[in-house]
Amino acid sequence: MHRPKTDVTSAPYVTAHPTTESAAASSDAPALADLLTHEDVDRARDRWEVARARWKGRGAKKFRGVRLLWLLIGPGVLVFLGENDAPSMLSYSADGARYGIGFFIPFVVLTFVMGFVVQEMTVRLGAVTHRGHAELIFDRFGKFWGFFAMGDLVVGNFLTLVTEFIGVRAGLGFFGIRPTIAIGGALVMVAAAITTGRYWTWERITMGLAIFNGLFIPAAILARPNWHAAGHALVTWKPFPSGNHYEILLLILATIGATVTPWMLFFQQSAVVDKGMQPRDINAGRFDTLLGVLLASVFAIAAILATAPLFHHGINAADFQAAQFAEALEPLIGHTGAALFALGIFEAGIVAAIAISTSSAYAFGEVLQTGHSLNRPLRDAWPFYLVLLGSASAAAALVLIPNFPLEFVVLTVNVIAVLAMPPALAFLLLLVNDPEVMGEYVNGTWANVAGIGVTLLLIIAGLGFGLATVFPKWLGG
Amino acid sequence: MKSDFSELSVSAPGVEPIPADGAQPHLEDPRVVLSLLEADQVVAAKEQMRFGRQKLSRGVRILLWGLRIYVVSMMVIVLISVLRAVHLIQ
Repeated sequence: MHRPKTDVTSAPYVTAHPTTESAAASSDAPALADLLTHEDVDRARDRWEVARARWKGRGAKKFRGVRLLWLLIGPGVLVFLGENDAPSMLSYSADGARYGIGFFIPFVVLTFVMGFVVQEMTVRLGAVTHRGHAELIFDRFGKFWGFFAMGDLVVGNFLTLVTEFIGVRAGLGFFGIRPTIAIGGALVMVAAAITTGRYWTWERITMGLAIFNGLFIPAAILARPNWHAAGHALVTWKPFPSGNHYEILLLILATIGATVTPWMLFFQQSAVVDKGMQPRDINAGRFDTLLGVLLASVFAIAAILATAPLFHHGINAADFQAAQFAEALEPLIGHTGAALFALGIFEAGIVAAIAISTSSAYAFGEVLQTGHSLNRPLRDAWPFYLVLLGSASAAAALVLIPNFPLEFVVLTVNVIAVLAMPPALAFLLLLVNDPEVMGEYVNGTWANVAGIGVTLLLIIAGLGFGLATVFPKWLGG
Repeated sequence: MKSDFSELSVSAPGVEPIPADGAQPHLEDPRVVLSLLEADQVVAAKEQMRFGRQKLSRGVRILLWGLRIYVVSMMVIVLISVLRAVHLIQ
């Protein structure tokens, strides 16, 4: 074993939190009863279900494999459908509206492959260490570097949360719903999701909402895309976008930022821990992540296809926001298609608001070493829930301020995500190559090649953006 | 009914394995809870046992500082581009 396992029955633990009354009354193990928390009991219940699904003995249920996957999927699907958020779907929509069917379709697939490479490492880290990402960074690199990483996360998460509520407001605005009602309703949904006091229930509710990201598929079908051109683009990466190179570079950066962002690292690792996954579940975790990649990339391509008619009709979508996309699409793909698009933007915003505020709360709890699990009741982990709801409420309030420059936040949030990603990836790669942390589960050569490759690509893209901004004439900006 | 206990982790000494074909485990019994979790998965164990600080090599420190400077520089550039966009709109 890479590090000493603690004997939980003999270690001199202080009493953590009260467990159930019946457990406390257990005659032969009062010390154990004091040791366990509500969180432990809920997690054990989840592990019991997994053990039953794995059981091969007499009376084993049919479709055990399917049941096992059903039990173990969650963090991967949520992180990728969560990252198909309002600004991401708007970036994909801008790709389609401004450059049509072409380069951006395979490029989006490439970004999701990059996303898989990175997120798979968080699955291993979480399952092996049972620690969240922020906690590991603080433990292994100290407070100095830990607070830098947290600074990037807090700023990025908050700005992204603002854009999620912009998406909610704009998506429901298409149906004539007033901003206060749309934002208030979204906050109620975020709050409702956390009242369950159970990770499993929260995960299933959020996954249920996240699957509506698929609304972009019927919207794309109603746009009657040229499937042959889409297939051709997927294989050849052509036609390559032409025009203002600075704008193209900005869109490339925003498209990368739509798939690979720091909050995803923190969220998936913490969710894997909260779900109680163990090293034997790593393959299921990989499947979960792959499933998330497949679903999210199909939905992202659907958004490109849905807005491609704007490009073919020569409609200038340079400054479009969510509601304007839907309104501009209405005469081209019909009211139903436009309504589906608007609903998709709303869904993207609400699911991401739930996931990103949870990511902030996990990191906060890990750093301050307070309770940080959705398996904990509200009274037991109120600071965790306060951060979750507080960050969402603050972001929602900003969106309601009159004349707040919402469009600039939307424009820059994905770019900021890309720029903040290389340091986050450096911490990830250092942790996942640390034998004291990972033992036999350290990165292999190919995982390192892929991880370093993704990091270098992001740095190059960032530097390209920097040069183009400082010297705009180089790219005709 | 004969049970296969191989899929269940037993992390606490003296804890009887739990038959996976049973209807529901008795989670009121803390020994059952411990038998289902890995030792360092228990909250109290995590609070007690933390990973120690890693000694950062010179190369790693240069890498982390380099990336920090990169991020700060890029944020300045983002600010420039936003101000430029505001100026264009006005």
